[in-house]
Amino acid sequence: MITLTIDNKEIQAPEGSTILEAAQKEGIHIPTLCFAKDLKPSTSCMVCVVRVEGLKTLVPACGTRVAENMRVVTCNDEIQKARTAAIELLLSDHIGDCLGPCMVGCPAKMNIPLMIRQIAAGDFAAAIQTVKKDIPLPAILGRICSAPCEKVCRREQADAAVSICLLKRFVADMDLASSSPYRPHCAAPTGKKTAIVGAGPTGLSAAYYLKHAGIDCSVYDDHDHPGGSLRYADMDRNVLPFEIIEKEIAQIAALGIDFHGNIFVGKDVSMEELKSQYNAVLLATGTPEGDKIQANRPGYLTSERAVFAAGGCIGSRNLCIRRIADGKEAALSIQSFLLGGTIAPKPDYNHRVGKLQPAELAIFIEQTVDTVRQEPKTLNGLTLEQAQAEAARCLHCDCRKADNCRLRDLAAELDARQRTFQGEKKLFQQITEHEQILFEPGKCIQCGLCIQVAQNQGEDIGLSFQGRGFDEKIVVPLDKSFACGLTKAAEKCVKVCPTGALAMKK
Amino acid sequence: MTELDLSCVDAIIERIGTKPSDALPLLQAVQEQFGYLPPEAIERLAQTTECKLSGLWSVATFYDQFRLKPAGKHIVKVCIGTACHVKGASQIYEAFQRYLGIEPDEDTDAEKLFTVEKVACLGCCMLAPAVQIDDVIYGHLTGETVGPVLQDFLEQQKHTAAAPARARRGKGITGQARICLDSSCRAVGSDKVYDALKLAVVNLDVPVKVKSTSCPGMSFLAPLVEVVMSDGQIFRYGQAKPADAISIIRRHFQPVGISGRIRSHIGNLIDTLLDDRIGHGPIRYSLSIRDHSVDDYLNQQKQIATEHAAQIDPLDIAEYEANGGFEALRKCLTERTGDSVLAEIENAGLRGRGGGGYPTHLKWHAVQKASSRQKYIICNGDEGDPGAFMDRMLMESYPYRVLEGMVIAAWTVGANEGVLYIRSEYPLAIQRMTAAIETCTRRGYLGNAIFGTDYSLDLRVYAGAGAFVCGEETALIKSIEGKRPSPRLRPPYPTQSGLHQLPTLVNNVETYTLVPWLLHNGAEAFSGLGTSKSKGTKVFALAGKIRRGGLIEVPMGMTIRQIVDQIGGGIEHDNALKAVQIGGPSGGCVPASMVDTPIDYESLHTAGAIMGSGGMVVLDETDCMVDIARYFLEFTQAQSCGRCTFCRVGTKRMLEILERLCQGKGQSGDIEKLQELGHLIQNTSICGLGKTAPNPVLSTIEHFRDEYDAHIQGNCPAGKCRELIRYSITDDCIGCTICAQHCPADAIAMKPYEKHIIDQPSCIRCGTCKQVCPANAVEVK
Repeated sequence: MITLTIDNKEIQAPEGSTILEAAQKEGIHIPTLCFAKDLKPSTSCMVCVVRVEGLKTLVPACGTRVAENMRVVTCNDEIQKARTAAIELLLSDHIGDCLGPCMVGCPAKMNIPLMIRQIAAGDFAAAIQTVKKDIPLPAILGRICSAPCEKVCRREQADAAVSICLLKRFVADMDLASSSPYRPHCAAPTGKKTAIVGAGPTGLSAAYYLKHAGIDCSVYDDHDHPGGSLRYADMDRNVLPFEIIEKEIAQIAALGIDFHGNIFVGKDVSMEELKSQYNAVLLATGTPEGDKIQANRPGYLTSERAVFAAGGCIGSRNLCIRRIADGKEAALSIQSFLLGGTIAPKPDYNHRVGKLQPAELAIFIEQTVDTVRQEPKTLNGLTLEQAQAEAARCLHCDCRKADNCRLRDLAAELDARQRTFQGEKKLFQQITEHEQILFEPGKCIQCGLCIQVAQNQGEDIGLSFQGRGFDEKIVVPLDKSFACGLTKAAEKCVKVCPTGALAMKK
Repeated sequence: MTELDLSCVDAIIERIGTKPSDALPLLQAVQEQFGYLPPEAIERLAQTTECKLSGLWSVATFYDQFRLKPAGKHIVKVCIGTACHVKGASQIYEAFQRYLGIEPDEDTDAEKLFTVEKVACLGCCMLAPAVQIDDVIYGHLTGETVGPVLQDFLEQQKHTAAAPARARRGKGITGQARICLDSSCRAVGSDKVYDALKLAVVNLDVPVKVKSTSCPGMSFLAPLVEVVMSDGQIFRYGQAKPADAISIIRRHFQPVGISGRIRSHIGNLIDTLLDDRIGHGPIRYSLSIRDHSVDDYLNQQKQIATEHAAQIDPLDIAEYEANGGFEALRKCLTERTGDSVLAEIENAGLRGRGGGGYPTHLKWHAVQKASSRQKYIICNGDEGDPGAFMDRMLMESYPYRVLEGMVIAAWTVGANEGVLYIRSEYPLAIQRMTAAIETCTRRGYLGNAIFGTDYSLDLRVYAGAGAFVCGEETALIKSIEGKRPSPRLRPPYPTQSGLHQLPTLVNNVETYTLVPWLLHNGAEAFSGLGTSKSKGTKVFALAGKIRRGGLIEVPMGMTIRQIVDQIGGGIEHDNALKAVQIGGPSGGCVPASMVDTPIDYESLHTAGAIMGSGGMVVLDETDCMVDIARYFLEFTQAQSCGRCTFCRVGTKRMLEILERLCQGKGQSGDIEKLQELGHLIQNTSICGLGKTAPNPVLSTIEHFRDEYDAHIQGNCPAGKCRELIRYSITDDCIGCTICAQHCPADAIAMKPYEKHIIDQPSCIRCGTCKQVCPANAVEVK
């Protein structure tokens, strides 16, 4: 055994083990990107650099072996800066969006590309889950949303945006028409209670997500029915029939939400009473006639402890989807307040490539069908065939591994910015010839783990480095196709790939 | 395309072997056979040897030497080494492209006659700018001479070389005519002068031995003929031509036979005298030993590694022995112990000459004490720095000395097998070292039972394939093992786990070369030279804007000023010295204000440079320091193996900033970003290439910050950066139309007897007009 010190803690580690292994055994966190257990360390990304006393430079913990009396520092300013810079350099050479622009453009941040893929695959049960994860009133919104998502759809650059709103409506209508519409699995009751003032889109949305988190909700409204502006505003009821409002709100009510109609808070019941009876109060009273309520985002806190405010009452909320998003976000904030955790979780890192070059757009178009956009002028919504045909128009320009990408996670963890280092932008490329997997070289960090895996799996041709330096690439030797190179190791290669460079097609 | 005959691939495999470590020689042989690497041939190698396709492909695409597409019939290699760069190599490259009508993203002309490539360094820095076409080197090119050079080359191809005259044998030799046949001397035609001398000796029937020798190092005079009389008196003739041979011989020697005298007599009548009266062609010098320039050049030097320069025939082993060669080795094996040799090396204070300056005895000691039955020795001859050719010259001129040092080292540490790794751009070094190994094996200095002892050592030459990073010891070892040569993290050091995971001693050519002298003359003689921490001598390749350049060996501690002024004779064209670049792409620029810095490891480091392997390029007022930094970083960036993020992406981002600056598109904050990235790359890379890559940038920012600032303002004070300058014609124009005739871009309209005007949008800023103008009426702003 070797005795060494990591962060002033004396520890023992077997001879031949690395600093990373020794630290991990002690529960000391060293971030890694290109490291994979059971594979030879590629010591390439330099995210795991540490300082070893006596050495002139930082060294990668994954490849440096422990030595007697070694003194290691795993975290200080210098190290942190180097780690962030390593990620930022990789990001400066990274091509591809983490999220589809539609999802970024959606105020509720609904995972639109995923929903569309589920529609295309005919998995409507999954599609409604995807929708309701972020939008609790999709049938309603599917009729009235002004669809900011469609304005940023990349397909708009080629012919016309995907009819996202109609697709969402299709999924929601289909669900409502079914014998057992989707209901989220709610967490066990936590014993916490929230009063929500206002049963409009914001209040209903907050109720849905609070209940989902196991927090009881009582919704107070001065009208006799829930729905707020959806129900009481002046609008064309051919576009949004009352029947849809009834049905969709019933789904929320069915989660077990108390609705107290015809109650005017401040008159029939005082704020003080609500505050004493409930653990938290959310004000969602809609567009005020007088002063707006002061509340900060994204916490939605007012100056009064345990009182939150969201939606039209705190500022101009022209888009219904924005009001719904407010409700959801306020619910998250209340949940953190009542159950612990941070109120404003660290935002995810989102890489964005900006406008596509024509050649890049062509790559995406090639993967889709050449059909005409379904315009939302029909009041009947889409048929199943139409919906699937429309879904097939989606370019899938989001990253398939956005939820499973170590580079993205580390970018968030290390507070890396995309544009610290800027330079030559390579063109987006996508290699689709393999039946199961996609390869997007612009997302590759050249760690070579996939090469090792292909070799270990006994691939005959396998993968290989080509060239060197900045132009180095991972390829199948002799310009052969990925189908030839990965006859059996494809899935394992995808799994080991720390970025979205290698991903499953589905 | 016709189907390939793969039977020759099978023959290659049969000849070379099937082990994974044979990958590189196999690929080299295939390329030799086909001129490129055909996919079918690579596949055949993968099928019939133990080399995996994946490995072969990653190796084949790593090295510059390999081509995956068929090349033209002849390869034009345009040297972009430092000395060539500062003398306009990129304009030469473009001139070839233009002359041959090669498209920007192509490298071969339509008729597939010439392929034009850039090459890191041909090691002919004194001929800068230089190109190599197949095996022929042309020097001192201008954009104008590209056409004539290609025509000359094609013309030469038609004639087969004249059979060399039979040398005079037997007794009665009264003198010698010596000439160096090393690569850079050949490049200026020393081989043709050699043939002419031999012919002259036969025709005149004089008792003279014509001899090829080790390099005198005086590249500025090459080809240099030295006539040595029987009394030891030496006469030197610089920049000799084949036509001079007969005059040179006749001037010093009397023919012995009657027929010879008659021929000589008749010849005297029609011969022109060898003097300054010849008004055309290159200027020629006849020199005696008392000539000041040679005196100054040589007297300041101390020759240890280059002992007997210009005296001994590189491959004549008897001559090497007669001059004390292998005596140090004999003493070691028959009279000394390894420990005593180690102690002597330690007392001498020898430090590695490859760049780092690590104490040699520590390295040797580590291998010596490693408990392994099998150990290796490696000679690192992968000198790849642009602007450096010391190791090439040592291997070409003193192959036996290199080997003697290596055998002593191998014996000291207990290694029985070894490799000389020589970069592929040095074919003559490969040839001579291979021949020297054979001769030494026959003479019992290598192989079994050396000097009758039970010590045995087998050495072989291993040719690199064009990758600068292979000069890094762990990459070099991987290269020998047939793997993709990306450096690995140390420790473990090769002294513990090197070639095939066994203890391995890796030293640079020059380090080994110093050992025989050191042991022969004793540690005190060696440590008597130099400074307190840097002992002995250092060989430098002195080049750039200097009057007398070449290979020099100076005692440590000499100042840069002494080298530039006394040995180099000062700056060309009486320009002002701006800086001296030392250490190549890993080094830095020592500004003129610091030229009193002595040459030793620590002082150079303090000045922001490094000893490196010994490239020393002198820069004058016309050199742009931002451009120099960009040039070096472009080199290292292209040579990065690509493993570490900071080196792979970071050097690219730095280069992009420098390119922006040179194009006048710099932004405020660029310089700070360069420094930030530079420090990060130094602090995180795992090998020497990455750790030192930012040095040229950081050192020029430190010493020439004002030039960087000027570039951000859109000015290039030295008038070098093409996008920031414009050529114009002054009122001094005499209307001779020469510039218009020569302009390759037709940017000057021909107007006899009138002032000419350059059309700025058409001007490609190649500088041809300025070179050809007889009235010096072209100015650059």
